[in-house]
Amino acid sequence: MVETAAPTFKEYAIEEFLVRDEPYYRPIGDEIELFTAAYRQHIPVLLKGPTGCGKTRFVEYMAWQLGRPLATVKEKGGKEEQLKAGEIRVPLITIACHEDLTASDLVGRYLLDANGTRWIDGPMTRAVKNGAILYLDEVVEARKDTTVLIHPLTDHRRILPIEKTGSIIEADDRFLLCVSYNPGYQSALKDLKHSTRQRFISIEFYYPPADIETEIVQRESGCSKEHADSLAKLGEKIRNLEEHGLQEGASTRLLIYAARLMSEGIEPRRACQVAIVWTLTDDHELQRSLEEVTSSIFE
Amino acid sequence: MTSGPIPEIEAELAKLPPAVLEAYNEANGAVKESFGEEEIGLWAKEGLTIGTQTVRSWESAIEYYRVSPEVSKFLSFPSFMQWARCGTYLAQDSPTLAVSFFKASVSIVPNLRPQYIPRWAGLGRSLYKGTWKSSTLAAKFFEVSPDLVRNLPFWDVEVFASLIEALSYKSYDVAGECLVLGRDVLPAMGREREPFLAMSRALIDTSWREVKTCLELVPRALQLVDESQTGRFLKLGERLAKVGLRNTSRFLSDGTQALSKVPQGSQGYILDLCDALVVITPDAVPPFLKSLDSVLNRITVSQLDTWFQHGAHLLQENPESGIAFFKIESNKSESMLETLSSSLELDRVKGILRLYCRALAGTGLEILDTQELVRRNIGWVDEDTASTDGTKIFLPPVVDHYPSKQDNFSWFKVVSTHQVAHLEFGSFEYEFEKPAALFEDRRHETEQKMLELKEAERVAAKEEYEMAARLLTSGAEGDVDMSPGYEDPNAMGSLRTFTDIGRFLEIFENGRLVFDIFTVLEDCRLDYRIKVEYPGIQKASSRVQGETLEKRPRIEDMPLQQGMVELLIHMSLDKFQDLPVAIEYKEAGEMLSRILHQLRTAEADVEDTAEATLRAYEIISRVPNEKEEDDQFEEQDLEEPGDFSEEDYQSLVDQLQAGMDASSDGGDGESYESPDPVDYRGDFKPEMVQLLTKLQADSGGDGEAQAMTQEMLEQLLQESPELELDAEQGEVDSNMSMFAQNIMKEAGAPPPNSQPGEGYGPLLHDDDGGGELEAREPETFVYDEWDFRANDYKPRWCIVKEKMVEEGDATFYHEALKTYKALSNHIRRQFELIMPESMRKTYRLMDGEDIDLNAALEAWCDLKMGVPPDEKIYWHRKRNRREVAVVFLLDMSASTAEAIDEGRQTVDDRDAPDDPVEYMVWLRRRREGLVRRNYKRIIDLEKEGTTLLIDALESIGDTYGIYGFSGYGRENVEFYVIKDIDEDFSDKVKRRIDKITPLHATRMGAAIRHATTKLEKQDAKTKIMFLISDGRPQDRGYSREGVEKEYAVHDTHMALVEARRKDIIPFCLTVDKSGHDYLKSMCGDMGYEVLADIWSLPERLPMLYRQLTSVR
Repeated sequence: MVETAAPTFKEYAIEEFLVRDEPYYRPIGDEIELFTAAYRQHIPVLLKGPTGCGKTRFVEYMAWQLGRPLATVKEKGGKEEQLKAGEIRVPLITIACHEDLTASDLVGRYLLDANGTRWIDGPMTRAVKNGAILYLDEVVEARKDTTVLIHPLTDHRRILPIEKTGSIIEADDRFLLCVSYNPGYQSALKDLKHSTRQRFISIEFYYPPADIETEIVQRESGCSKEHADSLAKLGEKIRNLEEHGLQEGASTRLLIYAARLMSEGIEPRRACQVAIVWTLTDDHELQRSLEEVTSSIFE
Repeated sequence: MTSGPIPEIEAELAKLPPAVLEAYNEANGAVKESFGEEEIGLWAKEGLTIGTQTVRSWESAIEYYRVSPEVSKFLSFPSFMQWARCGTYLAQDSPTLAVSFFKASVSIVPNLRPQYIPRWAGLGRSLYKGTWKSSTLAAKFFEVSPDLVRNLPFWDVEVFASLIEALSYKSYDVAGECLVLGRDVLPAMGREREPFLAMSRALIDTSWREVKTCLELVPRALQLVDESQTGRFLKLGERLAKVGLRNTSRFLSDGTQALSKVPQGSQGYILDLCDALVVITPDAVPPFLKSLDSVLNRITVSQLDTWFQHGAHLLQENPESGIAFFKIESNKSESMLETLSSSLELDRVKGILRLYCRALAGTGLEILDTQELVRRNIGWVDEDTASTDGTKIFLPPVVDHYPSKQDNFSWFKVVSTHQVAHLEFGSFEYEFEKPAALFEDRRHETEQKMLELKEAERVAAKEEYEMAARLLTSGAEGDVDMSPGYEDPNAMGSLRTFTDIGRFLEIFENGRLVFDIFTVLEDCRLDYRIKVEYPGIQKASSRVQGETLEKRPRIEDMPLQQGMVELLIHMSLDKFQDLPVAIEYKEAGEMLSRILHQLRTAEADVEDTAEATLRAYEIISRVPNEKEEDDQFEEQDLEEPGDFSEEDYQSLVDQLQAGMDASSDGGDGESYESPDPVDYRGDFKPEMVQLLTKLQADSGGDGEAQAMTQEMLEQLLQESPELELDAEQGEVDSNMSMFAQNIMKEAGAPPPNSQPGEGYGPLLHDDDGGGELEAREPETFVYDEWDFRANDYKPRWCIVKEKMVEEGDATFYHEALKTYKALSNHIRRQFELIMPESMRKTYRLMDGEDIDLNAALEAWCDLKMGVPPDEKIYWHRKRNRREVAVVFLLDMSASTAEAIDEGRQTVDDRDAPDDPVEYMVWLRRRREGLVRRNYKRIIDLEKEGTTLLIDALESIGDTYGIYGFSGYGRENVEFYVIKDIDEDFSDKVKRRIDKITPLHATRMGAAIRHATTKLEKQDAKTKIMFLISDGRPQDRGYSREGVEKEYAVHDTHMALVEARRKDIIPFCLTVDKSGHDYLKSMCGDMGYEVLADIWSLPERLPMLYRQLTSVR
């Protein structure tokens, strides 16, 4: 008989998902202080920065940080543990925005039930009710009517009107809206409206400086210091080509991927090729140039 | 009524076999419709004449009568009689021939002009030589002639007939076969028919059997060749045939095969080469074409020339060896291909290297070839060595050091990495005042000493002068200070302090020596940094270093001072073992090594190099530049000389100084000469780079920095050791002033004493007098223009003047819609089909905007009935509105006034309808759609296309603008508004369309840029620019040096690229059949279409637009 390993996934109710273990996050500036301050003051936060530079990781880290000390996690169907006195928890609800994301996707909708229809809260409603950090990733991708939805939530009112049920929800005290967007994709058509924009404080992210990036790459992948060094250098060089043919430079995430492949024993140049060069561009000449840079940096 | 000769004739006819009279009677009735009484008589009589020519000619007469009714419809009576008489003559010779003639006539006369009929009959007659075979051939000729005449111009038929006749002397069978083949093959040919016939004619004398094979091969073979080149190719065949080439058919198939494989657009070039060969030795052409494919697999078309020229040269000396060369059956040929194929042209890897360098340097570097740098004439003179001017990297155009492309590329990489290193590691960022990281600062001290020395010299010079003056005036007045003549040569102070590098290098006595040392040490520092930062390139660069080292001269052979510099070079090339050092100066050698090692660390920067230079200079300059015997040298290992210490250094210098003072026996040995440059490191000119950068910065600012005049610059250049010129002194001076002028220009500073419009100096191109332009009037706009040679924009180069097209009559618009009613309805329908998709609600979805009531009720019922309901109960409205903005650019150049083909060949078509035959031809053409209206011009079709398009666009509501462009010269690019993009469609627009007329030239780039600006302001998801033209872009001065067409094409390309960068989709539609030649390079990977049939423009235009927009 063939033994199959028991599946290892876990399922949570969306508002009960908590970041339990400390995520690795290497602060570059004062972003942690800023976020904490904003959280306490109920000011929504806008994270700007290119892809793969650590925005999402930062939010995870903050959810963990702000929720500390944190004791419980209820797995679906599992038994709930008791919160100790003085402890709070900050669930993190992440929604990746896309062009077809509708308002009802966020707020909730009626579903059919054996006895008629039943209202189901959308992720935003749940976040508001449960006092979670609601993280709207790539918010510019969302349709404009969706972005308007967040307006009453983001000013002093902190309310979420739900048209269909005719109710208004006042947000839990711990609720915070956090959105991210990538100014690199900016075009006249896909930009945040100013009325939306001006409801947030903005924290700018960019790829970390070479020495910190080395540290991050090494820490995340467990590769050697030399490889991490070279990868950070490669990242820096490739980012030089932004606007010179590359739409966006190599993200820290990609560098980490390459580093991980290397620590699995993949030959460095090959690892860079598959993890970085081929991922970044389909243009042959550009690929060739990037490979030449790689082959200069890696032996 | 039956008077006259008729009964008589009928009686005579009755004497012939009865079939004749039968045929006559049958035809009689029909003929009466066409001819009058008298004419009928003549008609009948001619039949009789035919019938009585020979014993069997009654057969011809039957045929004559039979076809007469049909023929008479097309010919006037005189022509008819002429035709009949032709038959009579033929019947005289051979009744069979006449029968064929008459039979063919039915289908010939509608297509042949009456005056040609006798000539046509003559053609058939000439084939008849009285033999049975010849009469069959001639009959066959008549048989095929309807097909020939219908599809070929008559003169081609004549040529073909004479070809057949010539063939018939050789073999009737072959001639017959060719006749049939010709009927099938020739009509399909276009312009190439004439040269093909000429070629075939030439073949008859040498190898007539080939004609048939050629006829068989030609349709397929010529498909392989560019339409525009077929004529030339066949002409080549003709010339070859004339000189006696035997197997032309082989040539035809091999040649076309070879041509089909050469890169697009270079067939013409290959044919040029062939033409050149024909002149020398025609026999070489077939082998050349045969090897072409394999040769071009190995080398590029541009390299082909080198190989070819060599072969051609051989051919002139010795045809045998030349042919062997072209067959690639000679070593020489093989080895040449070897070298050429492994050599690497910069152009092929420029793109890769550019990005590579940009990545490394982090700035927008450009890669150019060194020839460009030399052409700029700003001080760089060497075409073979790499260099950089701080913003661009210059590399040699070709590398062929190694037998493989891979290795040659590595060389490029090593060289460009070194050049980039100058920028990356800051060679040009030297600051005199910035302290060095690793050395103590000694330069201030040295500078002080130098200043004092100079001051002393100055005072001495002044005193000397005053002394002389005093002697001259011999105390007449005694007051020497009044001497007016004394001018201090250094009054301005040294100009070289203008740059920091210059200031540093200036503090030494021997400028040459210090510059050489600085170069070596800086290169050494960079090579070390490269080694550490880019370990991947290590292998390749060690190889290059090793090879360089082998080529270095022996230290022992050089005078001591030069030997010391050479020693530094050796060490900088990573050679530390077994270095010969003069025994007497052993410590000096060690000290130099320590100094050099100090720079081989990651912390060392350019200021350290300078300090190291200072120390090395102090040592080397104290060594006499004398030769030593070989035995005075000892091999030393300088790998680990120990740490550098200032004290040791100081004592060494003192010691050397003492030695020098002691042996002050005058002559310091030989004068110092610079070592051979290290090739791969290229030309290092830090002072020039700093100078350029500084001048540029100054000219950019508001000139509060002291302006540098040209005279000052010249003087500065002369003082700098970076410019070495082997020329005579006088020439040097003029060179210097030229350099200075060009540098000024490069830096953007206005050159002194030059009138605007006159240009600055000999470097200038003819067309760019005047420089930048300014838009002063309203509705004028200024745009840059791309100069592909300079790889840069010419700033503010073109003025675009926007004008409204005058309003004419709206009838054109309505007429056009009427003419194309069916088409326009069709187009509208097609367009409307795109529309609904954008607004449609989609039902039955798992998820959506709201619940679909019908579906929900159904589901509810299902639930009540205990049946699982369908979950798809939502609807959703797709909101991707069709957001399209489009700009149409119409070419309004003079060439669009050209009438569209037909017109030329069928000039007499205009009066054709008078003549029945012509009328038929005309009518048929008309039916086929070849002639619609006689004077239609390209622009008319553009206008019609626009009309249809407007009609269609209005139906779907896309935002659109329609503009025309033309102009003359860069200061007059006219941009005509037919419908502005924000303007609503109105009768005004209709009336403007009428007034679209051909004007001047086409400066596409500027027009495109202006259209881009217009589109940029639009807020649409999809933006399209549609360019409709009739030829390549051209304008006065729209070129460089006035000749290169590429300039215009490149600028247009760049303008299109700019548009695309702004998210605009460009599309070019051209009606120029030769458009493929340049559109590829003009549009690159952007969309374009060459319209094969210009008449299809009005139809194709809206359809293309629909395709372009509906995919998205």
